[in-house]
Amino acid sequence: MLKKSILSLLLSGALVAPGAAIAQTKTEISFLRFFGGCADEYANVTDLDKAVGECGVIQVLTNKFNAENKDGIKVNTQNVDWNAYYDLLSTKLASNEAPDVAVMHRSTLPNFVARDLIEPIGEDLSKAGVDLNDFAKTAREAVTYENKTWGLPFDIHALLWHVNVDIMKEAGLVDASGAPIIPKNAQEVFEQAKIVKEKTGKRYMSMDARNDAMPVRVFNMLMWQQGADVFSAETGKPTINTPEGKKALDFIQKVYKDGLAVPTHGNGESSQSFLRGEAAVAVNGTWAVNNFSNQAASGKAGFKTYAVADFPPIFGKATWSDSHMWVMPKKNRTPEQKAAAITFLKYLNDNGISWAKTGHLPVRTSVLQSDVFAKLPFRSSYAQTAQMARAVPMVQNQRPAQDAMRDSFGAALLTDKSTGDALAEAQSKVERLFRRVR
Amino acid sequence: MAAKQLRSERTAEWLTRAVLVGLAALWMIPLVWIVTMSFKPNDVLMMSTAGLLPIPFTLKNFNDIFFVSMTPRWLFNSTVVALGTTALTLVVASLAGYAFARLDFPFKRTLFIVVLAGLMVPEQALVIPLHSVITSWDMHNTHFALMAPRVALPVGVFLMTQFFKAVPKELEEAAALDNASRFTIFRRIMLPLSIPALVTLGIYTFLHSWNDFFWPLVSATNTNMYTITVGLASLQGNFAQTEGLGFIMATAVFASLPIVVVYLIFQKYLVRGVALSTGK
Repeated sequence: MLKKSILSLLLSGALVAPGAAIAQTKTEISFLRFFGGCADEYANVTDLDKAVGECGVIQVLTNKFNAENKDGIKVNTQNVDWNAYYDLLSTKLASNEAPDVAVMHRSTLPNFVARDLIEPIGEDLSKAGVDLNDFAKTAREAVTYENKTWGLPFDIHALLWHVNVDIMKEAGLVDASGAPIIPKNAQEVFEQAKIVKEKTGKRYMSMDARNDAMPVRVFNMLMWQQGADVFSAETGKPTINTPEGKKALDFIQKVYKDGLAVPTHGNGESSQSFLRGEAAVAVNGTWAVNNFSNQAASGKAGFKTYAVADFPPIFGKATWSDSHMWVMPKKNRTPEQKAAAITFLKYLNDNGISWAKTGHLPVRTSVLQSDVFAKLPFRSSYAQTAQMARAVPMVQNQRPAQDAMRDSFGAALLTDKSTGDALAEAQSKVERLFRRVR
Repeated sequence: MAAKQLRSERTAEWLTRAVLVGLAALWMIPLVWIVTMSFKPNDVLMMSTAGLLPIPFTLKNFNDIFFVSMTPRWLFNSTVVALGTTALTLVVASLAGYAFARLDFPFKRTLFIVVLAGLMVPEQALVIPLHSVITSWDMHNTHFALMAPRVALPVGVFLMTQFFKAVPKELEEAAALDNASRFTIFRRIMLPLSIPALVTLGIYTFLHSWNDFFWPLVSATNTNMYTITVGLASLQGNFAQTEGLGFIMATAVFASLPIVVVYLIFQKYLVRGVALSTGK
């Protein structure tokens, strides 16, 4: 009896031991992101040419890393939908289940740094061979807060000027080469709108007035174009209710009130309207380039020729941007896990050009200036955007501030509320929000 | 004279029916629209969402849901949690309701007021302390954590208390004369009588639990513990409202199907429950 039980114990030990040995050579790291779930669609796919869209590219990159890395690292992906991402990340951090690598926006970084929830990784990245000097200025700023580097920049996404060239041609607003004429100031925007309406009967612009806080992004951009800013990083106070703010919001209000764009349109409606060929121009981001160009090329859209350009200098040269980056939340991880996470990050950085397929701008100057990037369709027409991209200063509570501004500005676009009242309301709401920062 | 009256009565009846059918059709339009969009390709919906007929037709959106290997697991989680919460809530609410309606114990009035006060506390106010408590027990990512906070449902206790109060005392007194214990009276007489109320509460609890998004989001933070609501949402790409509208609609239809089935099976009890409560 005893012999039998010792034998079975030895046998089970013998079975477990090789299994344990194999398990130990694989360092597993957890990877939390949005961008959608397509693990099944791209199961075992490691060919980047087959990747389509944000989900496709990041999933294939992860698959490729898992299949090809020689350090025995396995990356386990968890995806969350974009809207709920920060709720889930925060609760994972609160319940001691921090992921090893997580995506983050530049606009939310300060909140996490202020609560001591992520690790500075500048030195680790340098040691692993990531050239921090290769990053474009905006990208470098995106991950820097309180003089430390908190993440690996992955992209810059910015606002662009998407054009339905068919309408512009019909209105006679194209140059000799057939490229659309981009307005050079605010006045020209309204002049072009008038011409388009007269010659084609179509609307000039398609711009989301409610979702994704687009009016706030445009407002911020118009402030930067005037050389002003929405928040002061030094004083920590908003500077919304200012003469520059009035000029910016007045412009946006005029666009809607004069019928250039529809104030009841959200993100979906404004894109639909543009794709149906109802507007000459769409104010949308780098993320829409692929979708708009593919739809136009497919013949299913309401227009055939698509073009895109840097955002016009309405009041000056600047465009709104935000950034995706990868951060390492704080956790009691083993040195192997930390090294594994850094190795994965370096891999993502080395393959940044693949992410450019999504329409977002790469963050490395060497990639931005490369032939491969130049060959990607339409990218050369908005190459300047990386240089003129601006973002909100590194203050906490950017997202709640954005929501407060969106609600106040929305009233000025949809009702009779004056821009002065909207600005005053936004200013006081944001001042109250900023009093709650750590 | 009588014929004329009959005719005007029937006209009134037809008129009422026509109005009700019209209203029902109006209310159904958004639902029909969602189902229609779920059967249309994403790229068609990118141009236009108009139309109540699914032309062009595609099964791809539903296929994409079934193709995801985690969908059965998420359905399983939702089913366990919804059924478990419903069963536990019915037990707790009926016992508490009977106690408040029929038993005498110290601080009964105060306790009942405390329960009612719970009706006024919004769910969102409880999330942070609840999350901290479950974290301290290290019990996140369990079915227990998803069920437990929902079981002590103030509206359930209130509903059952009011129901039991309305039952005539003579029924119990008759049973007591036959030497039936309190629990026997409860089990053999009160519970069977309360089936319509229990079904109403059961459907309400099941629906609430099945649809719950925020609490599972913050408690079930591992992919294999997602409920169907969180799981299907996590599949959405960032631009789903422009580029994946068909898929979103398909997930909405798919996730609501169990509720519709539950309702269809139990609806006659619901109607009976409403009729009983109005005293007809």
